Amino acid sequence: MNNANPIISINNVQKYFGTFKALDDVSLSVDAGQKVVVLGPSGSGKSTLLRTINKLEGINSGSIVVDGQDINDPANDINRIREEVGMVFQSFNLFRHKSVLENLTLAPIKLKKEPKEQADRRCLELLEKVGMVEKAASYPVQLSGGQQQRVAIARALAMKPKIMLFDEPTSALDPEMIGEVLDVMVTLAREGMTMVVVTHEMGFAREVADKVVFMDEGRIVEIAEPNQFFDQPVHKRTKLFLEQIL
Amino acid sequence: MGNKQVIIEVGDGAAIPSPRDKGLFTAWRISFFGTLAIIAYLLLFRPDPYLDIIKFLPDGIVVTFQVTIASISLAIVLGLIAGLGRISRNRLFNLAASTYIEIVRGIPLLVQLFYIYFALGHLIRVPDMLAAIIAMGFCYGAYMGEVFRAGIKSIDEGQTEASLSLGFNRSQTMRYVVLPQAWRTILPPVGNEFIALLKDTSLVSILAVSDILRRGREFASESFQYFETYTMVALIYLLITLILSKLLSILEDRLSHYEQR
Repeated sequence: MNNANPIISINNVQKYFGTFKALDDVSLSVDAGQKVVVLGPSGSGKSTLLRTINKLEGINSGSIVVDGQDINDPANDINRIREEVGMVFQSFNLFRHKSVLENLTLAPIKLKKEPKEQADRRCLELLEKVGMVEKAASYPVQLSGGQQQRVAIARALAMKPKIMLFDEPTSALDPEMIGEVLDVMVTLAREGMTMVVVTHEMGFAREVADKVVFMDEGRIVEIAEPNQFFDQPVHKRTKLFLEQIL
Repeated sequence: MGNKQVIIEVGDGAAIPSPRDKGLFTAWRISFFGTLAIIAYLLLFRPDPYLDIIKFLPDGIVVTFQVTIASISLAIVLGLIAGLGRISRNRLFNLAASTYIEIVRGIPLLVQLFYIYFALGHLIRVPDMLAAIIAMGFCYGAYMGEVFRAGIKSIDEGQTEASLSLGFNRSQTMRYVVLPQAWRTILPPVGNEFIALLKDTSLVSILAVSDILRRGREFASESFQYFETYTMVALIYLLITLILSKLLSILEDRLSHYEQR
């Protein structure tokens, strides 16, 4: 926690939706290479917190520093910061008018001016990695949910991000497809990617997380290593949550 | 003008074939081949006066198309700007676009046509045809603005978020992600506007623009064959709009390729 140079530093963030307080004095820091899993009941603010990290949600007060840049400082170009921060959504959000390969190459070609042949080659390797290379020419509607999500992860990786954010990546999937997506995420974690993951997959949290963050009612209730979190939770609210889901 | 309620079909999958399109006898085929048959009959068995009438009209058809295509081009540009304005977070842009749409929709097209023609003529001498195109484009741009707005709104917000999260800014997101998808939704109502505009160009015959209707009026007033002339004028308009609506539905099918499993 007291690392001098965390790659993500969230400081005393408040966030309102109208009069509803979605985030209440939230502070969290993530070191490079760390995997942080955020747990909590629905409506606890965990997705909102994740979405503030790449400014899909603005904040009302506090600060968020990503890779040394205050993302809410107008002097910093949020679009360049977002290139460094990949995001995977619950509903995949693949570009429906683009083929699988084009979904991956669009941003590198347009934003990083990568030559098409090079982008194609590199992105095919990424598809290989998520086991989707044979579907490179397919369109998103032709894929299952699990396949779409694996492509979505590859699309985010195509920008060579330093950080990956996962917003309930398996919540919209049929149970038999959850495994294939988690496998890709575990592989990514082993390779040393910095990851912040909002999920309900406790097995994943236990296996992969360096620290588990538990949120309730817009506040961070508890931050702990997975073993301690699952076996010896400190707070009553955490115990109650774990009893309900396990 | 009639009512211009914009109906946007938001389909999740491939376009659902309308019941009209099933079987051998579709409404389109009956109308199209019926129209062709009547024209053929009139030309073969009543060449006098119909052959003379139809020889007199092609110049007008060309003018009608010129006015239609020029006006719709202007309308699409204005419509895109107005549509983007209506969804813009910039208050001034938003307000300007909304006001444009309010004003244009509140004035009958014929009145706008007269007004732009004479008001413009008051300031600078504008060729009749150009005045007609500006007036039609200006008016239809407002309706087109609503079509664009609805089309853009129909694209899931998740597409925008995914694009932003990759590092695209708002206008790149619009250009590379939202608009290419919105076309699929926008095309049918734009096509309908095109056909509606083509019919409404008959109003410009009042501004000394020699479109189909004005050519017809010229012929009728010389020959006193009003009934025959306007019959042919109506059949020509019908034939053109039927062909256009067919082309439009073919184009829609082509565009829907990525929606199909």
